[in-house]
Amino acid sequence: MPRKSQLQITMEDVGIEIDGQVDSDSEDDGPKSGKRRQADKSASGRNNRNNSRAATRVRNGRRGKNMDSEEDEDEDEEEEEEKAPRQRRANRKKVAKYEDSEEDSEDDQPKKKANKKGNNKAEKEEQNTKAKQSDKNGKGKNKNKDDGGEKKKKKKNDSSSSASDSNSSDEESLSEGEMAKLMEEVEEKKKLISNMRNKPWRMKRRLHALREAQAFVEKFEGALGKGKGRKFYAYKVMMTKKWIKFKRDFENFKTACIPWEMKIKEVESHFGSSVASYFIFLRWMYGMNLVLFGLTFGLVVIPEILMGLPYGSIARKTVPRDEQDTAMDFSTLWDFNGYAKYSVLFYGYYNNQRTIGFLKYRLPLAYFMVGIGTFGYSLMVVIQTMAKNADETGGDGEDNDFNFCWKMFTSWDYLIGNSETADNKFASITTSFKESIVDEEENQKDENIHLRRFLRVLANVLILCGLGGSGYLIYFVVKRSQKFATMDDLGWYEKNEVEIVMSLLGLVCPPLFESIAELEDYHPRIALKWQLGRIFALFLGNLYTFLFALIDEVNQKLEEEENIKNMTAIALNLYYANVTLNGTEATPPPIDPADVIRGPCWETTVGIEFVKLTVSDIQVTYITILVGDFLRAVIVRFLNYCWCWDLEAGFPSYGEFDISGNVLGLIFNQGMIWMGAFYAPGLVGINVLRLLTSMYYQSWAVMSSNVPHERVFKASKSNNFYMGLLLLILFLSLLPVVYTIMTLPPSFDCGPFSGKPRMFEVIMETIKLDFPAFVGKLFSYAANPGLIIPAVLLMVLAIYYLNAVSKSYMNSNMELKKKMQMQRDEEKNRRNNKSTTNSVLKDLEDLLPINSGAVNHTTAASNQQPNGGDQTKPMKGGNRNGTSVRQEKEVSLSAQNPRIAVTRPPGPRPPGPLPGNPRLAVPGQPGRGPPPRAGGGRGQPRH
Amino acid sequence: MSSSTNKRCRQPKPDEMTGFRTKISNREDFQRIPELAINPLGDRIINAFFSDGEDQVNFRAFMRTLAHFRPIEDNEKGKDPSSSEPLNSRNNKLLFAFRLYDLDKDDKISREELLQVLRMMVGVNISDEQLGSIADRTIQEADQDGDSAISFPEFVKVLEKVDVEQKMSIRFLH
Repeated sequence: MPRKSQLQITMEDVGIEIDGQVDSDSEDDGPKSGKRRQADKSASGRNNRNNSRAATRVRNGRRGKNMDSEEDEDEDEEEEEEKAPRQRRANRKKVAKYEDSEEDSEDDQPKKKANKKGNNKAEKEEQNTKAKQSDKNGKGKNKNKDDGGEKKKKKKNDSSSSASDSNSSDEESLSEGEMAKLMEEVEEKKKLISNMRNKPWRMKRRLHALREAQAFVEKFEGALGKGKGRKFYAYKVMMTKKWIKFKRDFENFKTACIPWEMKIKEVESHFGSSVASYFIFLRWMYGMNLVLFGLTFGLVVIPEILMGLPYGSIARKTVPRDEQDTAMDFSTLWDFNGYAKYSVLFYGYYNNQRTIGFLKYRLPLAYFMVGIGTFGYSLMVVIQTMAKNADETGGDGEDNDFNFCWKMFTSWDYLIGNSETADNKFASITTSFKESIVDEEENQKDENIHLRRFLRVLANVLILCGLGGSGYLIYFVVKRSQKFATMDDLGWYEKNEVEIVMSLLGLVCPPLFESIAELEDYHPRIALKWQLGRIFALFLGNLYTFLFALIDEVNQKLEEEENIKNMTAIALNLYYANVTLNGTEATPPPIDPADVIRGPCWETTVGIEFVKLTVSDIQVTYITILVGDFLRAVIVRFLNYCWCWDLEAGFPSYGEFDISGNVLGLIFNQGMIWMGAFYAPGLVGINVLRLLTSMYYQSWAVMSSNVPHERVFKASKSNNFYMGLLLLILFLSLLPVVYTIMTLPPSFDCGPFSGKPRMFEVIMETIKLDFPAFVGKLFSYAANPGLIIPAVLLMVLAIYYLNAVSKSYMNSNMELKKKMQMQRDEEKNRRNNKSTTNSVLKDLEDLLPINSGAVNHTTAASNQQPNGGDQTKPMKGGNRNGTSVRQEKEVSLSAQNPRIAVTRPPGPRPPGPLPGNPRLAVPGQPGRGPPPRAGGGRGQPRH
Repeated sequence: MSSSTNKRCRQPKPDEMTGFRTKISNREDFQRIPELAINPLGDRIINAFFSDGEDQVNFRAFMRTLAHFRPIEDNEKGKDPSSSEPLNSRNNKLLFAFRLYDLDKDDKISREELLQVLRMMVGVNISDEQLGSIADRTIQEADQDGDSAISFPEFVKVLEKVDVEQKMSIRFLH
């Protein structure tokens, strides 16, 4: 115990070392007795003044204030004059003790450690001191003889501080009290270690305690600068710091590695988070496609290029003779015919050899597995992302409790860094407030429901007509294109009719739907969903019509192929018959691979269709952006100088970024990729290129020629909606591919599965030839319908069960929510009631029933016209029971028609209590001075 | 503090940063940051950097304010519970937001304060009566103890579902 107390004392000593030191400096003669001190202070004014000056300096140093002017100092001096004695008195005790050891204090370890706090201040003070020393020198002579001594001490102090500063920077955060506590604990642990033997504990516990204590001592003894742990501790601290710095750098590096982060941030700051969400979605898509690209190219395309038979070796890898003249023409290549058709980009190029190259790489198997794996991976990623999103959004779901509160406290988007966007945000906040008011109103009244219903039905009928019409148009065009396919010398239009019509439909229909949807007069959020759903239906209809037409074509090709197959078989038989007649052994007929009769290879045809569709989609998208956004912006911008009306504000204006259209376009493009990837492995590569370029192109376009939205819908909410659409598309594109794989026979003379009755036979073959027999047996058992049907049943049951469970959870969730709501209301009511049952008021009400009504009335009135000047605080508790409040609100909320579109940003705000208007200080103007101060509202602390 | 609450009172440029060491920053310096200039609550944010009665802020104080926006790390080094709450805790983040609205520093957001903030946010587009009723409605929603003002606990309750830890965090190193 004595030890401990002593420790404490030393620590306290040094904690205020500077104070003590300075104090003692002013009276440098020997032993200090309290009495003398007292006398000193009270009696000698001059001395006192000097003392306080020293104290002042210390205090100032501690505050970290800059005092370079003499006036400052003087002022402070006056201030501190009264405080100084108190401080000194407090220091007295310690000074006495401290004085003895001061001379050799620099080497004194514990002191130095504990010093740190003081030293830190001392360091700061150093500057001050030095600056002042000069003027001190000037004045000092006639002031006090002690000054010289003081300076000397100061210097010593400084040097000691700088000496110990090197290894002390980390414990600055420890206060003296904590230090003392720590020390105490360390001592305790040490004691514990030394008498561990005597404790009546079990060995296990003893060991545990010992280890704990040792670790503690090791950790903190160093911190206190004692024992052997000090150097090690310093080293450890250094390493920790380095490690932290490294981690931070690494974190930085990781952030820098996120592609396009800055680009997206820039877009976000100009257009708000909803537009940015599109780009984030695009980036996500790019990431997913990159993996698909890696799979396809790494496992299929590259091995084929490296190890497969070269071009021209067999028929399927050679351009037929009659096409060879035009095979290298650009127009042919652009249609993905000629050399493009007979390349690794398409299904037909791959050979049905079981293994290729010296690695015995099983290419057909790899091809099949990659085709399936593409879907598997995509499904997994999409569902995973959806689940994650659901988790995130599950936290803050739609909650109507704090509708206005949230609008009030969370509506400003702090990421906006552009004044135009800020204006738009003003407008949108205003709109959202108005919307809420409208919602409130609509909760109460419902006018002319029949007209609205009629309009909605009408709109839906119109849109259904539009959808049907577009579906028929596509069907018609596809049929026509099949007719064209049999004809020769077709123009460019006839060749590309399907793609052109589909792209045009995609261009025309969405705006049409949008204008029809205005009839319905839905809430914009709901309207957006409807709009998304309709465009989705349109695209989907188009896609499926296209698919059915394609399947028709495939069936035709299959018949055609059958004929050719028979023909080649006959030819071969004939040849072999001849060869055997001649008496030599059977060799393949010596025909040049370019001359071999070959089937139509429907797989490649399908692949080419999808690639063409994708490419034309890219073209249309890019040209639309170029014309619809960029050119429009250029025209609006430069023709505005010589036009009759204001083009920028008036009719054409600048384009807005069409989030829903772009997202849907992206989703459908992805669907096309999924469908086509099996028959055209190169499609994935094309898509990766497309996403990559569209990232740069669209972010350029959006920054250069679009204006921010007037109405911003929440991005995070609809994100899962997009993901849902993506999942749906994934499923829908999975269907035709699986159908073709499972039911259609592959072409006999092209592709990795040629010669097999069905494509999936490649798996059977592998199992039969490459696995031990029992695996094949197992597989055949597993494929037994007797096993599959129960398995399917089991899965259905599991789904049913999980569904039921989730439903019950949801129900209980709702119940809990309701309960919470009820509790809240109850509490509120109780409180309100309590305040109304204020006895005095009740008495008053009892006495003056008419008056209370009058009071009620006046409050309502004052609520209705709160002019900024003389708002009296609403009466506390007074007559505010729940119902009256509600009525008030309803009255005032529906008082005015708020349905005015916000067309202008907030005008200049009146000076006074409002801050300076940001509009006045346009950030675009370079080198502006400080923004104008509006009546001192800005810049003055407000309290 | 909307969909993305990241307060981006953008980092001063490096020269401003070093400028801190030599000279001390005042309000005009802050108002020169465009993001703050266009922010309707920019004034309030700037105010948050200045302690009572001070007209200037030094680098240390500046950092102290920005520390509220440090992301919360999961491990946070298992700080012993006895030590004081770090500046970037959820509570302190919320307190920072609360003080943006609490103009007169009486730890309550009154109707007048709400009205002022509303005027900053929507300008002159909504009539005063409607603003008043919005403010009333807001208070009615949040108020629990019937004093027709929003206290800090009530504020916390309102925002308890908002992911403040994430939204009020900035990666400064960027």
